Amino acid sequence: MPAAIETEGLTRSFDAFLAVDGVSMTVPERAVYGFLGRNGAGKTTTLKMVLGLLRPTAGAVRIHGLDVARERIAAARKIGALLEAHGFYANLTGAQNLSLTATLLGVPATEVDRVLEVVEMRADAGRRVGGYSLGMRQRLGLARAMLGAPPVLVLDEPTNGLDPDGIADMRQFLKRLPERAGATVLLSSHLLGEIEQIASHVGVVSDGRLVLEGELSRLKAGLAPEILLRTDDDRRAAGLLAQHAPAPVATEAGLVVALRPGADPDQSAATLNRALVQAGLAVFAIGPRARSLEDIYRQVTVSDQRQPQIEAA
Amino acid sequence: MLAVLSVELRKLNRSLAPVLVLAGPGLVALLTFFIVLNGRRATPWDRLMEGVSGVWAVFLLPMSVTALTALVAQIEHGPRAWDHLRALPVPRWRFYAAKAICAVALVVIMTALTLLLGWASAAAAITLKPAVAPPAALDLSKLLLLNGKVVIAALLLIAIQLWTALRFSSFVPALALGIGGTFFSVMATRAKAGVFSPWQMPFNMFSPEAWRVDTALALALGGGLGAMALVAVVLHLARREVL
Repeated sequence: MPAAIETEGLTRSFDAFLAVDGVSMTVPERAVYGFLGRNGAGKTTTLKMVLGLLRPTAGAVRIHGLDVARERIAAARKIGALLEAHGFYANLTGAQNLSLTATLLGVPATEVDRVLEVVEMRADAGRRVGGYSLGMRQRLGLARAMLGAPPVLVLDEPTNGLDPDGIADMRQFLKRLPERAGATVLLSSHLLGEIEQIASHVGVVSDGRLVLEGELSRLKAGLAPEILLRTDDDRRAAGLLAQHAPAPVATEAGLVVALRPGADPDQSAATLNRALVQAGLAVFAIGPRARSLEDIYRQVTVSDQRQPQIEAA
Repeated sequence: MLAVLSVELRKLNRSLAPVLVLAGPGLVALLTFFIVLNGRRATPWDRLMEGVSGVWAVFLLPMSVTALTALVAQIEHGPRAWDHLRALPVPRWRFYAAKAICAVALVVIMTALTLLLGWASAAAAITLKPAVAPPAALDLSKLLLLNGKVVIAALLLIAIQLWTALRFSSFVPALALGIGGTFFSVMATRAKAGVFSPWQMPFNMFSPEAWRVDTALALALGGGLGAMALVAVVLHLARREVL
């Protein structure tokens, strides 16, 4: 699949502080790419370089093959962005705000109605933005990013400030966007659960470095399988299971036994169950544990000494 | 460029800019009304209107420029709109050029309004007190020429204030600079060094000393210092990163 966004050794330092360190990222066309990392990891700085707002200290960004440093305007024509700072004029209505951007983009005024319809904001478009909730501003920001139907959308924390219903709507909307509009979505977030439900691809940035990238389903499949089980005496069970597999880990859900890569989870569950029953333990539940994006994230950021501030929403 | 200008005008139209444009000239008009009404004898129109322009040039013009450029800049600083604007497929210099053009245009409008309202308030006072009616007619072309020079002499001041207001997201540096510059130009109108003060250049057009007028004109008009400074402001702001 050709790349909609490609960065090559992207680096940015602020005086002595290295904010982004040699990030080489590939966002395939029509992908929903979740860009993950804790606050301060370098997500926003990377996105700003993708948008041409910051000049890289080294490296390059290409949007559909266009070098952002050399052909910024041509590259910017292909991108719609929703940034953390929305930049709406509070004394103007939602429709007036969109109309200003439509004029600057040179797109017809009918585009304003179209994007308002898409984000279901037509009813509130005549109200001043100063009276909007944060969720409404997010939706209006998304509408503005879609003006002119750009093939690439860059969204910085798009679910910020949305209520649970709003988050669910946004999730469905973003998930369907590649199919409906043929668009590629690059979205940054620190909400692992949300990204897991939306993204087809992920990239994890830690301390300015891209520590993991790939198709989410493949990354999950590549993880070593685990067995989750509950017994009437987990402490005794843990001691017993240590003879069969690496030491189990006690969690709120029960004991988690990590298997060796390539091990058959069903066969392993049967072996462990037999050993527990023969030892006189009552087994309440046993089976393969579904692997999550959080597992992937924990694995790749384990070398980081600091406690990640990421939320498993 | 026209699209960027029209967007800038729409934003200004919905801001407090119209109030600000009326405030300075309105104050001069109010002052003129009472000066004429309390006058003991008739003053020629030329001297009367020169007084109106002088009050505008010495204090209210630099203060209005300070407020106006701060307003033009805060329209974007306030909602943190720079990232959105600068990410659009529009050459960045156009955003700054549009702001510079609007600032200069508003100063021209305010100067014209000062003359118009100053004349109207003087005429109103004369109607109430015919004894102070000016004996001779107004030489309009001379007055317009003088005020044209005032605006050209103010270009450097506009450039400096606009750069400061756009460069810093807080309005305080621009305000402090404007108040400070105006203060010194008012307090030291006769100081020799004042001829080089951007805040004093507009008022130097009224100086009885020819060298002051000539120097200010040579710098502002002949040297094109103000226009060059405005171009430099636009280019510098377009190139710098907004962090």
